[in-house]
Amino acid sequence: MSLHIQFELNGRSTQAKIEPQARLIDTLRETLSHTGTKEGCGEGECGACTVLVDGRVINSCLYPAAEIDGAEVTTIEGLAEGGRHLSPIQSAFLESGGVQCGFCTPGMIMTTVGLLGENPDPSEEEVRDALTGNLCRCTGYVQIVDAIRLAARTLQEGKS
Amino acid sequence: MESLPYYRPRSLIDAFELLAAVSDARWIAGGTDLLVQARKRSQSCGLISLRSIEELGNITTEPDGGLRIGAAMVLSDVRKNRAVRKSCPVLCEAIDVLGSRQIRNVATLGGNLCNASPAADTAPALLALDARVELVSADSRRELPLHDFILGPGKTALKVGEILSALLVPSQLESGACGQAFIRKGRVKMDLAIVSLAVSLSMDGDRCRDIRVAAGAVAPVPLRLIAAEDLLRDTELDDVAIAAAKESAMATVSPIDDQRASAFYRRQLVGVFLERAVRRAAGLAGGESV
Repeated sequence: MSLHIQFELNGRSTQAKIEPQARLIDTLRETLSHTGTKEGCGEGECGACTVLVDGRVINSCLYPAAEIDGAEVTTIEGLAEGGRHLSPIQSAFLESGGVQCGFCTPGMIMTTVGLLGENPDPSEEEVRDALTGNLCRCTGYVQIVDAIRLAARTLQEGKS
Repeated sequence: MESLPYYRPRSLIDAFELLAAVSDARWIAGGTDLLVQARKRSQSCGLISLRSIEELGNITTEPDGGLRIGAAMVLSDVRKNRAVRKSCPVLCEAIDVLGSRQIRNVATLGGNLCNASPAADTAPALLALDARVELVSADSRRELPLHDFILGPGKTALKVGEILSALLVPSQLESGACGQAFIRKGRVKMDLAIVSLAVSLSMDGDRCRDIRVAAGAVAPVPLRLIAAEDLLRDTELDDVAIAAAKESAMATVSPIDDQRASAFYRRQLVGVFLERAVRRAAGLAGGESV
């Protein structure tokens, strides 16, 4: 017996039929073909599956899809304007060389969205703390941290 | 084949009705422990979510200043709550180091305690606050001190049909200055605790009027270090008293060797953290307003 859920995905009203115990990550990737969100561990440790639900970062590999009924979900696909113009955060990652294989990147970027939404001007320490739940096997994090601080500056400048 | 159900009751009454009606169903709150374990053990059963039940997701202040924290409130919301920040900073410190933001936006106090890991981050803080648990079923309500609730690794006093509905934190505001501190060590930030230690004390000038100390990850359950407390209470927290308390604490705990740390290292850290946390809490009690 399946459940029907209705929710907002990247600003658009969306419906889906799901197995009752479906994971949000599977609903996004398999049912809705939004494959930008990645599964790195399936245990809530690596953060590659990070998306925003009602503005909060969560691990979609551990989030029951049934719980997003009525909620607002934001994935990596929702960031580029018109699906084409990269957001300031995305551009900052490219500019800073904060991407190697790219597998952790959607999760890193969504965590950045969450961080800068709460704290528009984070210190390096605060950035590193915010990345506690996001693992990267390629970069050593330095340029990821640079990217986030660049994004913060760009966004702040955009406001003044 | 019937797929396994997932229910989202809006009230405790509905939740208990579902439990009675659905064979082999379990409660789920944040699911950050439960879903991981279910996958590892290939467990399958119906799930009854506690996330949409209002009584389990809010915080109320009792007339005497105590707090009733809904057990299914997500940790990040508990952390932001003004009353919690004011009277339970040790709990805030514990939440800040639990998992990651992604986990804290979903995980709950109830889940952390019912999972009953010896290393549960919130447990030492709640023990230091002298918290009680409220347990409800379809036709009963009872309270237990937290130290009588966690019985062993993965084992609690929860009876079949019961829900841990709230944490009851007694009023921490007393005349005289209070201080709280929490210290925790993991290999990296997002790691199970190697050792955690929480202190809550109140000072009367230079004298420690009352103190509670609790440690995690150094015994089968998170535990109060009662003997160490007795050596610090009514002293001026001088070097002699602290040295005696450290020795007592290190003798009381029963850490194990595992892939994260040796028993020897953990035992050393208990002593180090006891001293640091007591001094920090006393400092907070001394100068600044709570």
